[in-house]
Amino acid sequence: MISVSGLRKSFGAATVLDGVDLEIRQGEVVSVLGSSGSGKSTLIRCINGLEKIDAGKITVDGFDVSKPRELSEARKRSGTVFQLFNLYPHMTAVQNIALAPVEVLKVPRKQAETEARELLQSVGLTDRADAYPSQLSGGQRQRVGICRALAMKPSYLLLDEVTSALDPEMTSEVLSILAKLAKGGTTMVFVTHEIEFARSISSRIAFLDKGTLIADLPTEEFFSDKGMALPRVAQFLSKMRKD
Amino acid sequence: MRYGDFTPFDIVLLLQGLGVSLALFVSTALIGLVIGTAWAVIRFYRVPVLMQIVTFVAELLKNSPVLVQLFLVFFGLPAFFKINVTPTEAAVITLSGNSAAFIYVIAVSAIESVGRDQIEAARVFGLTRWQTLRWVIAPQAAAFAIGPLTGLLVNQLQVTSLISVIGVMDLTKVGNILNLRTLKPFLVWTAVGALYYLTAKLVAYAGGRFEKRLRAHTAWRGL
Repeated sequence: MISVSGLRKSFGAATVLDGVDLEIRQGEVVSVLGSSGSGKSTLIRCINGLEKIDAGKITVDGFDVSKPRELSEARKRSGTVFQLFNLYPHMTAVQNIALAPVEVLKVPRKQAETEARELLQSVGLTDRADAYPSQLSGGQRQRVGICRALAMKPSYLLLDEVTSALDPEMTSEVLSILAKLAKGGTTMVFVTHEIEFARSISSRIAFLDKGTLIADLPTEEFFSDKGMALPRVAQFLSKMRKD
Repeated sequence: MRYGDFTPFDIVLLLQGLGVSLALFVSTALIGLVIGTAWAVIRFYRVPVLMQIVTFVAELLKNSPVLVQLFLVFFGLPAFFKINVTPTEAAVITLSGNSAAFIYVIAVSAIESVGRDQIEAARVFGLTRWQTLRWVIAPQAAAFAIGPLTGLLVNQLQVTSLISVIGVMDLTKVGNILNLRTLKPFLVWTAVGALYYLTAKLVAYAGGRFEKRLRAHTAWRGL
């Protein structure tokens, strides 16, 4: 279980997260919605320890991410996929995926590379396994990014606006893979602007507004009366649907 | 044949001088590379005290003339520390230290030019600081550094000529001797200059080749 309680984070004078409580249990797909600047990405970056938190507590399977010693254990349990892919440009797709399993989990290289190829096959990139990131399209890069996170066999997948840098066609490539993962029971925290997609795969929706969680509801309740009763959510959804 | 004429043996003499210059250049470049990189790693880990010392020493070496450093080592070590150094030892110590200081600067800026996103991608999957440096930062930093490094090495090759003043028999010293004997400075220094030129070109060519290989996949990074 990922447990976030009383999380506060500010950058200088700007408070980005102002007392967030959130729990994600094994098997859930939780989408985090909210307008730009509402703190969605920061929330993910706090969970995987890329940002130091100012107050509150975050644990991943009981490991406190603000304690350096426990952070490495927490990180082994979650896999992050980045908005801008962040692939290592000097490594092939297979090498990108196998690096962490070999170095962190001490999987033998041969085995790690075989598993990397299997993962690439599952996302339809069998023939691009030995290509470098610069030789891949955006959608292909993000699929490699997803494989890289999955290679660590994480209990939780943290997805930080993974389709924001992609065109609609590439977005659907990536989303179809995520849908497959969600169906397979992968636990996900999904920060996104793809509302309709979030609705189709999520078990719960969390809505962030100016650093506070103003809604944390089962998906269908969020999109029906209960969510709409919140003026900020209603406004957000109506704006997004118009586009 | 008069004493002042050129003899075929002079060519051997020139090549010997070139050999000494090259040997000094290669050895001090390698030592400088090891020390400079080690200093950059110390800075990467922000080792307290050591980091301040490294920064201070590098600043001293960068901002004073090599010739002055050479005199300090050659005349200063025996005078103040009672350590006797041969001209060759003094040359190796000075040039290595000087190269190290400049290589340190190149290495630090190369490390810093690797994007934060790369470091985050490595850290988030649990790689340690060392593993991140070794597998993610160093290969990319090397690709950034190789261009400035080649420029530096070409310059350091020319700088080796300074050591002739303390009596090391390098190419410049040989040129000096031939010049005094034949009194044909234009011929002698043209030959010496051409040898430096060719060697420098060779260094630049090798650097260029190496850069192409390192940058094969990173040059065009796309998004």
